[in-house]
Amino acid sequence: MLKPKNDLLQGTLALLVLKTLARGPLHGYGITLHIQMVSKDILRVEEGSLYPALHRMEQDGWVSAEWATSENNRRARYYRLTSKGRKQLAEEEKNWAQLTQAVAHVLQCA
Amino acid sequence: MSLIARLRAMLRRDRLDHDLDEELRSHLEMRAADNLSAGMSAAEARYEAQKRFGNTTLTKEDTRAMDIIGWIETLGQNLRYAVRMLRRSPGFTAVAILTLALGIGGNVAIFTVVRAVLLSPLPFSHPDQLVRVYDDLRGPNTHDVGMSVPEMWDLRDKSGVFQDISALVSADANLTGGDQPERIELLGTSPNYFTMLGTPPQLGRVYTQQDAQPGFTEGVVISDGFWRRTFGADPQVIGRKIRVDSDLYSVIGVMPPSFRHPGRTLTNEVDVWAAAGYIALPFPVPVLRSTRLLPGAMGRLKPGITVSQAQARLDALTAQLSREYPTEYPAAAAWGVRLVSVQEDLVGTVRTELLVLFGAVAFVLLIACVNLANLLLARSASRQREIAIRLAVGAGRGRLITQLLTESVLLSTISGIVALLTGFWLKTWLLTMTPADLPRLKEVSLSPAVVFFAFAISILTGVVFGLAPALQAARSSHVANLREGSRGSGSSKHQMKISRFLVASEIALSLVLLIGTGLLLRSFWRLAEVHPGFDPHRVVTTRIWLPVPNDPSEDVYPTVEKRAEFLREVLRRVSVLPGVEDAAIGSLNSLPMNSATSQFPFAIEGRADESRRTPVAEFTSVTPDYFQVLKAPFIRGRIFTDSDNVKGQQVALINETLARRYWPDADPIGQHLKLGARRGQDPSQIPPTTIVGVVGDIKSDGFDLASAPHIYLPLYQFAGYASVVYLRSGGDPASLGAAIRRGVQAVDPTIPVFGVQTMDDVVSKYLAQRRFALELLGIFAGVALLLASIGIYGVMAYTFSQRTNEIGIRMAMGAQRSDILKIAVSEGAFVVAFGIVSGIIGSAIFTRFLQSMLFEVKSIDPITYVGISALLAGVTLLASLVPARRATRVDPLTALRQD
Repeated sequence: MLKPKNDLLQGTLALLVLKTLARGPLHGYGITLHIQMVSKDILRVEEGSLYPALHRMEQDGWVSAEWATSENNRRARYYRLTSKGRKQLAEEEKNWAQLTQAVAHVLQCA
Repeated sequence: MSLIARLRAMLRRDRLDHDLDEELRSHLEMRAADNLSAGMSAAEARYEAQKRFGNTTLTKEDTRAMDIIGWIETLGQNLRYAVRMLRRSPGFTAVAILTLALGIGGNVAIFTVVRAVLLSPLPFSHPDQLVRVYDDLRGPNTHDVGMSVPEMWDLRDKSGVFQDISALVSADANLTGGDQPERIELLGTSPNYFTMLGTPPQLGRVYTQQDAQPGFTEGVVISDGFWRRTFGADPQVIGRKIRVDSDLYSVIGVMPPSFRHPGRTLTNEVDVWAAAGYIALPFPVPVLRSTRLLPGAMGRLKPGITVSQAQARLDALTAQLSREYPTEYPAAAAWGVRLVSVQEDLVGTVRTELLVLFGAVAFVLLIACVNLANLLLARSASRQREIAIRLAVGAGRGRLITQLLTESVLLSTISGIVALLTGFWLKTWLLTMTPADLPRLKEVSLSPAVVFFAFAISILTGVVFGLAPALQAARSSHVANLREGSRGSGSSKHQMKISRFLVASEIALSLVLLIGTGLLLRSFWRLAEVHPGFDPHRVVTTRIWLPVPNDPSEDVYPTVEKRAEFLREVLRRVSVLPGVEDAAIGSLNSLPMNSATSQFPFAIEGRADESRRTPVAEFTSVTPDYFQVLKAPFIRGRIFTDSDNVKGQQVALINETLARRYWPDADPIGQHLKLGARRGQDPSQIPPTTIVGVVGDIKSDGFDLASAPHIYLPLYQFAGYASVVYLRSGGDPASLGAAIRRGVQAVDPTIPVFGVQTMDDVVSKYLAQRRFALELLGIFAGVALLLASIGIYGVMAYTFSQRTNEIGIRMAMGAQRSDILKIAVSEGAFVVAFGIVSGIIGSAIFTRFLQSMLFEVKSIDPITYVGISALLAGVTLLASLVPARRATRVDPLTALRQD
């Protein structure tokens, strides 16, 4: 699964989390569920690295967080995308597109 | 935002932990709940959730680590960039570091002294409980008159405020038994002195209450210095005997080198401590309440009692004792006891000076900061393009300001380290420059507190001078600077205004410093001009001490006659030394500027005892040629002659102050005085003393004090044990001192001669402390003036270089060189005027703190203010003139071609 062993994969986790939050505020568990579900269980977020990443993103100002009650009347910390985070998301999406395109080119030309 | 968020996160550690705990727990519970609804059992559900989550503790640590990583990353980036920026302009960096290192170094140096002398508590247990006890006679307004032994007992037993109280008797003593007799500093105490202070010895033991004797205890304690000098640091010194003032004592202990008696001493450090009960020989018997035998006392208050509380209780006790013993405590004398904390007693006199110096050097640092801020402002103007790009790309303003501040803090921290290292290397040299009589000087050292102060002040400095330029740089509109073709070196009017305001404040600060120095200088001149009443040039003095053995039957000089005989012979021998013009001998307090001398009451025959103002005067005994040696003017009557010995009539000389005070319209010659009873005399049998002459005032206590009334008695009628030999001669003081020693030891080889100094030395030592403060302040003021001049020069030069365009246009439109010059000078003058006016207001406020250091000069002395202001105005206007003239040399065509 996604292990934060190098910058590329760690950046990917941030991209996925940001994209998830673009749909609306979610708590940490909800983010793992969403990514798992949408990727049809191919991408499973390693939960040990999710919260450090979320904290980092909060410090960088890409997300903001606050406590609220979930649908099951449970207290949970909800993360929301900030405007800075939206900019960052656009940036990362662009980078990702460039990267995959470049890789595709290399594979085609082989 | 990130910086602040990180800071906040680091500070709210507990809340973050608690929140994180709850958040992770809720994650696990939610998955467990899902597992449960998917069909697992409760235990399985939780187990699977935990397994999937992984190590919770590790996750928590990783999350928390994000704080520090983020912090370090940003700091690292900032620092790397800052270093790169500084290396790009090595000239600026070097000048900045030098200026700051000087400013920071000065502050650290003074702080080191302030900390050791004023702030750090004395090295005893509970030093705030230690107090000096002074007896005052408030009626005749004399202080520190000494304490009697029964009084000390009453203070100890009846007041209820003291745990312990010890007498303090500082004395010279003769150490004999070696090849040369040596004078040592002896401190007589009560047996509980060392237990009161609480410092253990390094060798042997100290004396305690159990060693108490009515007279002197045989066991004495010696200092580390004395141990090394006299016994060569012999570890077997315990039990060895020393002969002090003809009596044998044995050494029972050696104090550690860091131990210092917490009070004033006669000459140097205490060599030997001896305990005594003061109720048997050599002290007067019977013990009388009216004999003020003990010159000083120190006590330790009971825990929980403040000095003011103790003082109140002592006031009650003295009132009660005055009622109980009306003869010993006459109402007119208004006897009282005063407590002063030992630390205050030691350092109180230098506190104002040290704090003034500290303030002054802080001003210098402030001025340096303002200079640097201006420099940075100018530099940031040339970095506009770089800043604009960064802002456009999306770096937050906060990030930018942080970056700029990192540069300035880095600069100041480097300077601080440079200052610390330099101070460390120069430490010994710096210490030799401080006046030797500064209390607690030996405790001055580079401690961790000093290093911490150095860093704190470096960082603070960096923020202070970096903040304004950083804020200014980040606020400037960036859009305009990215316009095509712009060189990006324009600076806004706002920036110019800030620059000029900074220079004006520099001028104001410098003015305060300069005026302070000017006032002190005038005060010092006034003081040095005061005629001391005698001519100190070409006069050599030495001291002699005749031993006082404990058993009076062993005293070689028990009577006045014997002592007079000895001194007469000494005087005869030294008078015939080659090159000696005049010679005299006097009692110890005949030495001017020696130390504060006490005044004693006397009575004038034929005048009723005016209860409010008992006449008091200083009493000194001298040989007839004393006034000739010192060239003190002789006014009326006659000097003593050799026939005024013990068998003769009692005669005295008085000084002008006494004559004027008590015989303003009459001739005092021939009048009779009644002096106090001496040991063994019946008060009613005292013969009257006749005044035979009036001499000029000799300022014996200090130049800044009014002359005290003085009564001079013939030495041969009142010879004491401590004497001073005076020689007027052009010869070399050292060889004269040796010759005097040979002469004295030809009469009695067991008598040491010590303290050889010229009167010039004595006078200059008296002025030394003031001179030191003045020199330092002068250096600071000079540096401040230089910095302010550089500041205004820099700003003006920069301003005009920015406005070459405008100047070119003006000149092309017909303005003459002189017109440009007029504009330039008037702008400069405006800044200078503003600075000077604020400086004058600031000076009026700050120099009030100097008042206690000033002699005959008001803190708002108009001459000083006007003179210094004119000086500063002249210098700074000149500094602004040079770039102004250069501005007029601009060729209009070149100026217009510049973009």
